[in-house]
Amino acid sequence: MSANSPNPVLIIGGGIAGLTAAVELADTGVEVVLVEKSASLGGRVARLHQYFPKLCPPTCGLEMHYRRVRENAGITVLTLAEVTGVTGSAGDYEVEVRVRPRFVSEACTLCGDCERVCPAERPDEFNYGLGTTKAAYLPHGVAYPAAYAIDRAACPEGCKACEEACKYQAIRLNAQTEVRTVKASAIVAATGWKPYDAAKLEHLGFGQCRNVVTNVMLERMAAADGPTAGRILRPSDGKEPRTVAFVQCAGSRDENHLPYCSAVCCTASLKHAAYIRALYPETAITIFYIDVRTPGRLEEFGAKVQHDADVRMVKGKVARVEENPATGDLLVTAEDVLANRKSTEHFELVVLATGIVPETEGLPAALKPDECGFAGKNGSPGIYAAGCVCRPAEVSATVQDATGTALKALQCANRSVSHVR
Amino acid sequence: MKDARTVEPDVELIASLMAAGGADLKKCMQCSNCTCVCSLSTPEDDFPRRQILHAQWGLKDRLLTDVSPWLCHYCGDCTEHCPRQANPGEAMMALRRYLTGQYDWTGLSLLMYRSEAWAIGVLLAVSLVVVLLFTVPANFGFGLLSQAGPAARATVMLDKFAPKEIVHIGDTLLASLLGVLLLTNAARMFRIATRDTHIPLGVYLRHLPGFVVQGVTQKRWRECDAGDSFKNWLRHLILVTGYATIFLLVVVFLPWFQVQDHSFHWNSLLGYYASAALLGASAWMIGDRMAQSGEMHRFSQPSDWMFPGLLFVTALTGVLLNVCRLLDQAMPTYVLYVVHLAVAVPMLVVEVPFGKWAHLLYRPLAIYIAAVKKSALQTQ
Ligand SMILES: Cc1cc2nc3c(=O)[nH]c(=O)nc-3n(C[C@H](O)[C@H](O)[C@H](O)COP(=O)(O)OP(=O)(O)OC[C@H]3O[C@@H](n4cnc5c(N)ncnc54)[C@H](O)[C@@H]3O)c2cc1C
Repeated sequence: MSANSPNPVLIIGGGIAGLTAAVELADTGVEVVLVEKSASLGGRVARLHQYFPKLCPPTCGLEMHYRRVRENAGITVLTLAEVTGVTGSAGDYEVEVRVRPRFVSEACTLCGDCERVCPAERPDEFNYGLGTTKAAYLPHGVAYPAAYAIDRAACPEGCKACEEACKYQAIRLNAQTEVRTVKASAIVAATGWKPYDAAKLEHLGFGQCRNVVTNVMLERMAAADGPTAGRILRPSDGKEPRTVAFVQCAGSRDENHLPYCSAVCCTASLKHAAYIRALYPETAITIFYIDVRTPGRLEEFGAKVQHDADVRMVKGKVARVEENPATGDLLVTAEDVLANRKSTEHFELVVLATGIVPETEGLPAALKPDECGFAGKNGSPGIYAAGCVCRPAEVSATVQDATGTALKALQCANRSVSHVR
Repeated sequence: MKDARTVEPDVELIASLMAAGGADLKKCMQCSNCTCVCSLSTPEDDFPRRQILHAQWGLKDRLLTDVSPWLCHYCGDCTEHCPRQANPGEAMMALRRYLTGQYDWTGLSLLMYRSEAWAIGVLLAVSLVVVLLFTVPANFGFGLLSQAGPAARATVMLDKFAPKEIVHIGDTLLASLLGVLLLTNAARMFRIATRDTHIPLGVYLRHLPGFVVQGVTQKRWRECDAGDSFKNWLRHLILVTGYATIFLLVVVFLPWFQVQDHSFHWNSLLGYYASAALLGASAWMIGDRMAQSGEMHRFSQPSDWMFPGLLFVTALTGVLLNVCRLLDQAMPTYVLYVVHLAVAVPMLVVEVPFGKWAHLLYRPLAIYIAAVKKSALQTQ
């Protein structure tokens, strides 16, 4: 560590929070190492069809960040990488990073030959299990780095088809996992969130009723590059549904599941209603809710969608979803609390608005989780958390949080080289 | 505001209900998960969400006219799935306790629910009266025994100790008194619950057979699809048949039931069935409460223990008394006879018109009221 330049700031997680912290920090001249577990940056936002409240595609925000990453030589991006150990103290951490091989080098031109010859399939995790990809796969449409990757766990014994097919010699199937030690002045953990496991909601039929899907799955169906090419189709028969029910608080605000409000699901379901109404003007939407929570500036967006006469809002938590095996239709039991009427209604598709669970695996131990499992914001003087791993929030709040956290990290980095305390 | 209505909330209501066991009532956020998981809650008679709202808002009048708490058999599904741990099942139980107090015109029920001291006091007082009846008057009870001479001490001669003509009169008087109290309370329940609905006579008559069937079989309980509802229903049915049998034996057929000597009598067989049923069912209930098995047994108020507890002791002393009689143990037989009555009588006095056992009439009556109200609304 020289007297004038601090160690880089290490960021764990390349979602919108990690990306924001990385580019904002790098803009101040400090070096950044961005460690991302999956094969691409972008995080959950890359899986959205459109952002509320403006309903712009995620490429908007992501492309801008990617450009800044690309143009700033001070940012080192490590994908397929995870932090396996942290030692040292603020200003002078030593971080052990395990980098799994991608098996595809920068020479990749996205020609797609490897994918075409690949004989093996794997579950499409990016699309929440809706369909499969080849073992040689492009992470997604807005992948960064823009390169294929190979899931060796899915490869057949001894198969070298992709290596042989690649005209650019970009594929090396014998690449090995690498363990690196990175010096860091401060650490920002932005590992984000994962959807609540809908199978735990036994009464809501996920996994038992074919036409019960989750909000994140619907998001992928609505996306043009998604498994149904942008159409909303019932899993059982590929039919476009004429009636759709949204079940809010599927797990959230429930002491038996997630005791907290996930903050985004109400606005997300209203957004989904808007997607469907735009695609299929004949399709009627019912949203079953406990309270409609569209805080702050999201209120206006929420009100606009609710203004649509074919978006019916029913105050009442859904307690039961059952399938009519003959038609695949669903029987949804809830009480319209305002009308004091308990009833069981038919729907062709049911969407569970599952909530946000913090992704705390691989988080530095200093960031102690709170009683709901979210990471504390400040662990020790040089270790911070940002984004949805700290609290459930929409993109704009996440970005603001990450920017603020970047300042904390910067202060820490500067303190480590400054004599003035 | 032509249709404006002034609602006078009863600000004490929530506290009364919380004291009666609904301590978590305020946690409810009105999501209605409870009403929807409940297979007994119907669009016409929905619970517990609406009743909890009325409780939270202090709408006492609405609660009083509402019989739905009696339609709940406390399987506990609502509590198990409540996202706020507001314990709706226990809220319904608290409402039943509260309503029992409200129906009772003597005010004793309310006193006993509110204060354990009162409940125990009344039990002990009645117990004392029973013991005194057997011990004090010179021409009755033990006094009589000494007059009867050494013969009754040497061998069991129940009729010398407690002449069945006298006991039978006592039985009948007690049964009539409790019957009148229970019936007048039930009549009040009926009046309160139907005061806002005009119900034609024909509707009343049409639903009468259903009332009888429900009263005897608790058939509606079988509509509950919760896991152990069959077990609970069966246990309840065993208890009811045992209870009804012993009631008939003691109140109507005492002259044949109380046998004088220490030999075996065929007419005791019914008594054996009743003893086994009451002993078994009450022990089973106590066991479940101790093990807190199932939502129904997780929370117990003193009055919840009193019911199976006293019943168990009554049945047990009845059995022991019979054993002593068969073994020709004169003094133990007489002592157990007094103990048996000193438990059974206060139990009946407290529980039948004022306490938990009032539900033997309130439940079928509630089903009846709900049915006639529904019919009346449909015909209007
Ligand atoms: C159904 C739904 C719809 C939504 N729609 C909108 C919307 O329309 N508009 C809006 O503003 N918000 C929306 N949101 C919220 C939005 O998704 C979040 O605000 C956003 O994803 C938060 O970003 P993040 O970076 O904190 O987390 P993430 O997006 O989860 O990013 C975390 C990143 O960290 C990586 N990572 C995880 N663990 C590790 C590890 N141990 N090591 C290295 N890397 C790791 C992950 O691979 C990922 O790339 C929606 C949420 C839901 C549930």
